[in-house]
Amino acid sequence: MKILLMGHPNVGKSAVFNRLTGAKVTESNYPGTTVDYTKGYMRLEGKDVEIIDVPGTFSLEPKDKAEEVAVKMLKENRDSVIICVIDSVKLERGLYLALEIIEEGYPVVIALNMWDVAEDKNIRIDVEKLENILGVPIVPTIAVSGEGIKELVSRIKEASPIDIEKIVEKAGGVEQ
Amino acid sequence: MKLTVDERWDLIDKIAKQTVKYGKYRHTLKDAIAEITVKPLTGIPIAIAVLYGFWSFFGAFAGFFTDGFLVKLFDNHWLPWLQEVFPGKGGWVYYILVGDPMADNCFEAFGMLTSGLFVAIGVVLPAIVAFYLFLIILEDSGYLPRLAVLVDTVLHKIGLHGFAVVPMILSLGCNVPAVAATRTLETRKQRFMMATLLAIFIPCGAQLGIMLEVIPGYVGFVMIYLLTGFFIFGFILNKLIPGKSPEILLDVPPYHMPIARNVRRKLWVRVRSFFTVAIPFVLLGVVIVNIMYLTGFLDWLANLLEPILCGWFGVPKETVGPLIAAFLRKDLAVAQLSAIEMSTYQLVTSVILVSLYFPCVATFAMLIKEGREGGWKGVAQYLFGSLAALIAVVFLWGGLVHLIWIILGVA
Amino acid sequence: MRKKLSEMSYGEEGIVKSIEGNLRNKVAGMGIRVGKKIKMATKQPIKGPVVVTVDQYSISLGLGIADKIIVEAKE
Repeated sequence: MKILLMGHPNVGKSAVFNRLTGAKVTESNYPGTTVDYTKGYMRLEGKDVEIIDVPGTFSLEPKDKAEEVAVKMLKENRDSVIICVIDSVKLERGLYLALEIIEEGYPVVIALNMWDVAEDKNIRIDVEKLENILGVPIVPTIAVSGEGIKELVSRIKEASPIDIEKIVEKAGGVEQ
Repeated sequence: MKLTVDERWDLIDKIAKQTVKYGKYRHTLKDAIAEITVKPLTGIPIAIAVLYGFWSFFGAFAGFFTDGFLVKLFDNHWLPWLQEVFPGKGGWVYYILVGDPMADNCFEAFGMLTSGLFVAIGVVLPAIVAFYLFLIILEDSGYLPRLAVLVDTVLHKIGLHGFAVVPMILSLGCNVPAVAATRTLETRKQRFMMATLLAIFIPCGAQLGIMLEVIPGYVGFVMIYLLTGFFIFGFILNKLIPGKSPEILLDVPPYHMPIARNVRRKLWVRVRSFFTVAIPFVLLGVVIVNIMYLTGFLDWLANLLEPILCGWFGVPKETVGPLIAAFLRKDLAVAQLSAIEMSTYQLVTSVILVSLYFPCVATFAMLIKEGREGGWKGVAQYLFGSLAALIAVVFLWGGLVHLIWIILGVA
Repeated sequence: MRKKLSEMSYGEEGIVKSIEGNLRNKVAGMGIRVGKKIKMATKQPIKGPVVVTVDQYSISLGLGIADKIIVEAKE
């Protein structure tokens, strides 16, 4: 099993990665600016699991080379769990990518990063309800200070593939 | 089952309605800064100020460590000590490792352990640290996408993309990651153009650092000359190369305060890769040039190329040595030029030649690697394409600077 | 009034009415979609790119791309 870290550019993905891997980064090429990805290992239930910091992408419809690489990496690692890092301030746009990944049949865990910024901006997200609708583990995080990272790690094992029709049903069902 | 784009967004709207509440949105200082840095009227002067600040910081930081401390350390302590204790004065091993026994500074000695180490650690290392420190702060703060929007207007005219400004700035640090960063550009045409233009026209941080030492008064001129060449030849390449030049489509993120921990980490990764990649090349370069000199190969080549070097470019034939070294390390080549007797104008021409001429071997390897995505044909296209552009540029743009000196009456 | 996104002037607001062909999928992930409120945040001179805001996202588009998005501008 592998863990892929995916999300838009500039959502603190690399900061989450740094928190998860500590200092054990084995390969690291110019993070943040090039397509080269970073790979490391994280401790998960007593085992070292490979974790890849996938280049930032907005959707699985690539619009440039970096996004192409991101999509390729996702398809190459069929057996992985995806940690989807979302900027809490821009929840909707982040959900777009998360849903696309869920539709592809991957088990997903969502990190609602920059939670503090969202609070500052008076944005309130009902995490429990969101979790109920999507059926995937969702954890608010503040990667820069490390908050929520432990919980994120502990909930990786709960991730399982979700049928998108179920999400549609739950989202519609609750509304009516 | 998969959703269509609209179905997916409808679903998100439904979910968001039930789970997110947006409170009153307050306009913050960050938003105000975000606005003025991307509006052309205020954004362009700010961009110029930021880049000028970058340059001043680079010069001041590198100068402080190099001139204030490391030059003295190397010239007054390391060099005399090594000349004293190293056995076999006059032998070829001594010549390769320590260099000229009479030299009184590390620019002229040209041994592997004297000039080699001095260039790598004394001059280039502070320059690299200064460059990446500032760049990482720009990167992490979210300024770069705004810069990309501002320069897109100009870069799109030569078939590039505003975001090409990222490889361009990176290139001022080191061409190797810059060529790698061209991968973020959309089409093969754009990637090839950018990689070629970078490799030819943009001097790297190592070279800039050493230029500040060797021709402090002329670095500005050299930079403007090279950048003008960048745009002129970019314009020509854009007309010559078939392919599409898609337009910019870029998210402009809000500003973030850079976090010390991330800055430190990135800086360390980049400086470390400089240590492991660049320093061996510098040292190897000194050895190879010294061996070529000892065997008489350099003299032979210098005489052979004399008509071109003296006639067309107006530089002494001895520059052939630095030009060969330039293939390994440009910083080394510039350091070596400073030890050759010639006029300031000839020196400036030589520095420009070193910049334009062959990219260093690491960049070259990277160009081949980038071409590989198109198979063998791709590699051939990248290689021969870059080489053709390179030869044209060296002769035209390199010759032009000689012409400028002739017109000014100083050559 | 209906017009191209590229024709909107600085500060003008509108609702996205249609997006041409496969551009629709490309910009969807960035938050631009039919039915959304869109505001022209800045226009760069000499046919440079525009910056628009949708929700709280700022997105920069080349003028040619902005040509392919039709907007119902607010009076």
